[in-house]
Amino acid sequence: MSRYLRIFLIFSRFSLKTTFQGRLGIILFIIGKIIRFFFLFMFVFVIFSHSRGIKGYNLNQALIVYMTFNLIDTVSQILFREVYRFRPLVVSGRFDLVLVKPYHPFIQILLGGVDFLDVIMLFPYLGLTLYLIAIGGYLYPGKLVLYLFFIFNGLIFATAFHILVLAIGIITTTVDHTIMIYRDLTSVGRFPIEIYREPVRFIFTFVFPIALMTNVPAHILMGKNQGNLFAYGLVFSFGLLLISVYLWQLALKKYQSYGG
Amino acid sequence: MFKKYQLVFSTTVKEYFAYRLNFVLWRLRMFIYLASTYFFWQAVFEKNITFGHYDKSAILSYILYVSLISNFVFGTRTSDIAAEINDGSIINWLLKPISFFRLYMAKDLVDKIMNIAFSLFEVWLIVYFFKAPLIAPKNILLASLFFINGLAISFYVNMMLSFIGFWTTEVWAPRFVFMIMVLFAAGTYFPLDILPPLLYKIMIMTPFPYLFFMTTRTLVGRTDGFVLFEVLISFFWVIACFFLAKRIWKKGNKSFSFWGR
Repeated sequence: MSRYLRIFLIFSRFSLKTTFQGRLGIILFIIGKIIRFFFLFMFVFVIFSHSRGIKGYNLNQALIVYMTFNLIDTVSQILFREVYRFRPLVVSGRFDLVLVKPYHPFIQILLGGVDFLDVIMLFPYLGLTLYLIAIGGYLYPGKLVLYLFFIFNGLIFATAFHILVLAIGIITTTVDHTIMIYRDLTSVGRFPIEIYREPVRFIFTFVFPIALMTNVPAHILMGKNQGNLFAYGLVFSFGLLLISVYLWQLALKKYQSYGG
Repeated sequence: MFKKYQLVFSTTVKEYFAYRLNFVLWRLRMFIYLASTYFFWQAVFEKNITFGHYDKSAILSYILYVSLISNFVFGTRTSDIAAEINDGSIINWLLKPISFFRLYMAKDLVDKIMNIAFSLFEVWLIVYFFKAPLIAPKNILLASLFFINGLAISFYVNMMLSFIGFWTTEVWAPRFVFMIMVLFAAGTYFPLDILPPLLYKIMIMTPFPYLFFMTTRTLVGRTDGFVLFEVLISFFWVIACFFLAKRIWKKGNKSFSFWGR
């Protein structure tokens, strides 16, 4: 395990050096991310403050859902950025060079490109989330532990989805669009899933379990108990992870290698 | 004179049909985005009769028209230019007896036609299956004027963003910031005139609302006062972007070293 941690740290150091090669890029990307966050925050703010609450969510609760989505999304962006660079490896056959290395390929193609720009964004997100939780009156140790546990569960969903994208990448050599489809689907979780009508709500809870991934932590925190939804969240995350690892192994058998 | 651009047009069409899966996945993304925005606004109107000065049918029509118009206005291949500048392959175009701007207009036209064809189908799906209360388009002449100006502004701004490649390889970051600005300042998520009046007045001085907000707002019949002023501002941005793009193109060509060629 410590060997994998060392390899992960080496890749992260390389990633940091690569990031700081383009200074103009760093500034512009951070500005872009701040603008995006600010505008979406204002969007949620304007909608929920004008609307006397939507589907039982007041402004504070809607903002907690939005921030919870941001936390899960940002941590998964930090960890899994390398997935976005997977396609050229498969197309060129350079993925061979990853497979022959004496470590699990995921340490390079899944976790090997930590995005430090998102690390910068994570701290203000954490601060703002805690502030919203405090003014909402949800700052209880027990609830916070459960909240963090289900955020971790959300990250398991994210891991499973990213492995799935890698597997699809090997079979179809399509990565760019599938990862962006994942991003578009997850963005539905910016808002409480209850605002969507059936069958949309069902689809985003059980077919593409975005609600289980991004909404459940906030539900736990705000005491919006929805029966078996929390249990579904746990079962679905581990189930999806197992399925994605299985599909990854299946995809590896289809990989045609260099010159294939 | 236009035969060579017709050839570019037909070659670009063939390119799209060669990478069908890519295009279908791109449209799937656009549909997810449209559907989620539509359902979001539908939920907002479950308790509210109006939002700002928009009622339910006006705002849902706005979202659907924005989808159609933005798909046409933003259909572009100009982002390829930056990569062509960076790898030097742009020289292959420059040596040919064609106008570089017209070349990309022809390529863009294909992208726009492909996108609008799919977009019409996607909007139809929403209208048909979810009984969307679509308002019949109004003020078509005025909307057409804004639409043509929006096309021109979008084209020249996109060209300028790619011309950054003449001076740096970091071409993706400025485009990222521009796309984020477009998402919000062009009225993709909501009509800009629901913003506080002062903020709205500041926004309409920028080029963003003229990309597709003004066209859509006019189509759903929300033109009240200041229309002449807005038309004039849109023309100002068309002219400014045209001259700026031409100037940057000339400057870029002079400073470019055609690396590796």
